[in-house]
Amino acid sequence: MIGLLKSMATTMKHALDGSTFTVEYPETAPDVSPRFRGVHKFSQERCIWCRQCENVCPNDTIQIVMDDKRNGEQYNLHIGQCIYCRLCEEVCPVDAILLTQNFEFTADTKQDLVYNKEQLKSVPWYKDIDPLESREPDRGAWIGEGDGEVDYQ
Amino acid sequence: MSAGTSLGFPAATPLQAGETVLLPERIGDLTGLGEFGLAGELFAAFIAAFIVANIMMAMTGVAGPWAKRKITAAFTDRIAVNHLGPGGIFIIVADAVRLLSKENIIPEHADRPAYDLAPIVIAGSALLGFAVIPMGSGIHLADPEVGLAFVFAVAGIASIGLVMAGYASGNKYSMLGGLRAVAQNIAYEIPLVVTGLSVVLFAGSLRMSEIVAVQNETVLFTIPGLEWAVPAWYALVNPFAFVLFLIANFAEVGRNPFDMPEAPAELIAGYQTEYSSVQFVLVYLGEFLHIFLGGAIIATIFLGGPAGPGPAELGIVWFLLKIWAVFFLTQWLRSAIPRVRIDHLIEIGWKGLLVLSFANLGLTAAIVWVIA
Amino acid sequence: MSTGIEKSEATGEEDALEALLADRAIAHDDHLNAPGFVVNPTDVQDVLTDLREEAGYDHLSCVTSQQYEDRYETIYHLTKFADRTDEVSVVVPTSLSNPVSQSAEPVFRTADWHEREAYDLVGIEYEDHPDLRRILLPETWQGHPLGGDYDQEKPQLVTLTEHENPIQPDHHDQESDTMFLNIGPHHPATHGVLHVKTVLDGETVVDVEPDIGYLHRCEEQMCQQGTYRHQIMPYPDRWDYVSAGLLNEWAYARAIEDMADIEVPEYAQVIRTMSAELCRIASHMLALGTFALDVYGEFTAIFQYTFRDREVVQDILEELTGQRMMFNYFRVGGVAWDLPEPREDFLEQTRDFLDELPAKVAEYNDMVTSNEIFQTRCVDTGVIDAETVKDYGCTGPVARGSGVDYDLRRDDPYGYYEDLEWDVITRDGCDNYARVLCRMQEVEESAKIIEQCVDLLEDWPEDERTVQANVPRTLKPDADTETYRAVEAAKGELGIYLRSDGTDKPGRFKIRSPCFSNLQALEEMSEGEYIPDLIASLGSLDIVLGEVDR
Repeated sequence: MIGLLKSMATTMKHALDGSTFTVEYPETAPDVSPRFRGVHKFSQERCIWCRQCENVCPNDTIQIVMDDKRNGEQYNLHIGQCIYCRLCEEVCPVDAILLTQNFEFTADTKQDLVYNKEQLKSVPWYKDIDPLESREPDRGAWIGEGDGEVDYQ
Repeated sequence: MSAGTSLGFPAATPLQAGETVLLPERIGDLTGLGEFGLAGELFAAFIAAFIVANIMMAMTGVAGPWAKRKITAAFTDRIAVNHLGPGGIFIIVADAVRLLSKENIIPEHADRPAYDLAPIVIAGSALLGFAVIPMGSGIHLADPEVGLAFVFAVAGIASIGLVMAGYASGNKYSMLGGLRAVAQNIAYEIPLVVTGLSVVLFAGSLRMSEIVAVQNETVLFTIPGLEWAVPAWYALVNPFAFVLFLIANFAEVGRNPFDMPEAPAELIAGYQTEYSSVQFVLVYLGEFLHIFLGGAIIATIFLGGPAGPGPAELGIVWFLLKIWAVFFLTQWLRSAIPRVRIDHLIEIGWKGLLVLSFANLGLTAAIVWVIA
Repeated sequence: MSTGIEKSEATGEEDALEALLADRAIAHDDHLNAPGFVVNPTDVQDVLTDLREEAGYDHLSCVTSQQYEDRYETIYHLTKFADRTDEVSVVVPTSLSNPVSQSAEPVFRTADWHEREAYDLVGIEYEDHPDLRRILLPETWQGHPLGGDYDQEKPQLVTLTEHENPIQPDHHDQESDTMFLNIGPHHPATHGVLHVKTVLDGETVVDVEPDIGYLHRCEEQMCQQGTYRHQIMPYPDRWDYVSAGLLNEWAYARAIEDMADIEVPEYAQVIRTMSAELCRIASHMLALGTFALDVYGEFTAIFQYTFRDREVVQDILEELTGQRMMFNYFRVGGVAWDLPEPREDFLEQTRDFLDELPAKVAEYNDMVTSNEIFQTRCVDTGVIDAETVKDYGCTGPVARGSGVDYDLRRDDPYGYYEDLEWDVITRDGCDNYARVLCRMQEVEESAKIIEQCVDLLEDWPEDERTVQANVPRTLKPDADTETYRAVEAAKGELGIYLRSDGTDKPGRFKIRSPCFSNLQALEEMSEGEYIPDLIASLGSLDIVLGEVDR
């Protein structure tokens, strides 16, 4: 009986202290870590079309189309298929692709979630956080220099 | 002891039995319908019943989609509905529209007339019970000699509705839920009624208005410095019976820790698994009506009915407050207490509550005999 | 010198094994983790019985099956509950034309499901197996997808009528006293898409048969198609997807680091240890919360309270790893990132959580363990004794709740656990209550570990804060290297078997999921009890279907 009363007292204590741990979402957007991985942002100016991101992607999210002179033509990314592992950002030697903190994206159809390079370019920063700044201190640690066989392709 | 009534604590209803002014009569007088003989009286009674039923339905409407969410949220540190209107109150409208506009899916193997009737029986039986409850402020539909017995009887009809729903749905989970409901209702109806009887022994009457009146006639004790004298409500006179009745009532209406007939983790939703749309609303409303009816019975026979400080016109406010207190308690238990297992439940019913309720009855009889 | 002695001991043991197996061992096929003996398909039961009875290998950790160019192979990974580091592999090759091998089920109950899986995915048939049916794929699936001759182009599913023999007699009883009830795959208490075929006598459970595979996502195949260096690591997060991600990642990291012989910097090991224990807390909180849902009902406050506390852990993990559940934080040879800057703030945040934890645990004790109704519900229900636990290969809190003192963090040390002060929690109750208490106390132990890690991280010398070893961009372990390595995940022993085929992708990637083995024991726990106890036992097993089905 004492245990039952203890349970009831505990819940009542929570009811009376009036504190809540849930957030009224659209009104108060949650703070996310600077390391948080959201929708990608792509910079064509930086990209050297090395295709490493396309190769490293575990589930073929990135599609790069090049012309016969190996100039980049298209850079498509299916943000609905992406698993947000950040490997593309990790292998990119020139920081041309970054994962912003922006986690708010919707679309009516699956096809709408395929972003081309223009759409990827205009992905907004979330709360104006530049993810690269938060990640810069560890930049060198991302890719081991390695003494094994180096495979740039 | 008998000086109680003068201490700023007016009884809600006139004390002399048989002179209670009931709502149908009052409506008859006000509208002049009473002059049309039996037909007029019937019509007045219909209007009165309509008013009472609507009060109760409105309450379940507030309780189901809104109050329940808010109360549960408070216990679980959440916010709950808050977008539509102040405190999210208009979620009631939104939910009503949503529920009523859904497709009513009837399972292929449903046993048709029974399947359709069950929600009506569940909701209707609870509404019937309110007919004899004195709610204060003159809202009292009928005051038969056997008021308390009537309430228990109609509340018991609900279990037929539950079996009908469980059996007719053609679903094994519903079946199990329905069977559990019967086992549980039979096991707990007896302690419920027997404990109710102990009150009857005190009051010397089954008539609801009289039970209320007798409770408020006497003063248990007065707290110095307070205007309000504490009346001899049976919850205070015999707290043991009150607790017994409360427990049996939770089992009777199927709320935690005794929500076996639904037990979502085990039986999905028990007897109401297959219901959708309007029929689901009826079953859902019926459940809340039963909680409120339970609260109404508790308020009437243990908490002095509509009595409370202030003028007699406030009776209905006090009465609803008491009902809501019981409702609040069900939600509180729901968030704090585990569900007992079905075999334990039956054991508690037959081996525990039944024995205790008879002991309580004997004890009460002895006390009443000594006093007399 | 010391290594020399160990070596001679090890070989001494191997000699003893060889003497035990005598001429039944037709060859050696050593794995990195254990000596391997090749035996004939007809000697399996014999050999396993001897290894179990004579040599004390009482834990069949995993059964791996695979197809080579010229043969099928079943590997029984054996070890001891008393000494986890003492391992032996029994390798059973069978011919391509006639892939029949003796079943290990009569010796180890746990082999039942493992062999069904091998039959289902690879196509090896097991003689003497009591119930050799498909387990993960639908009954009407055509072919064995991990077998060599599997044709993905062909239709893989046929209708049940095409599959079943139409003139087969119907064995359903016309009249019986029992009721067959499908619990799941859509049911509030199955914690995902589990289907439990239940036979009831009234409310009493007569027979239980879990039907799994609804969430089978070919995780093993996906890992076989990913490169060791980068592409496999994101997937472990998705096996046990309810916040135990880092623990799973560690299982893969441990296996590949063993295989490619990579030394992980100590600093990274401390970070790994801390973050993994945070994950364990988050996972156990969820286990407690969902168990409360099963026992209390859907409006219980406990679920929300545990979620609130899990949220705090997840905030810390988000600061560290960048994600709340799908972390992808470990890397081969270390972790992706150092602690976030400013470091003091992060350590402060973690310490705050640890400081508040005792009060929260006390609250749970008030609400859960001291509650009388909860006790009547959980004490002496879902009982499984230590011997049965071992037979079924149950691990984690399920084993420790039955008094089996087995925890890989201590028994087969990895990471930084060896140098920290903490205890393995065991309870002798063998029931649902013991399992819940076990988890709650493990949360406290994890907090101890985290506290020590935080202190270590704070005082670590600035110039030794290396988070990753020097790992080549492309990993290509030598062909035919095999290893089986396990870690203590939130639900128990999570093992990975890796075989390299000389390329940068694994030749065979096999996951030994703790939930898979634990779930198998549900039968033992709940037969003869009531439906509510079945539900409670299922909750106390704390399964995640993503990991059961993989």
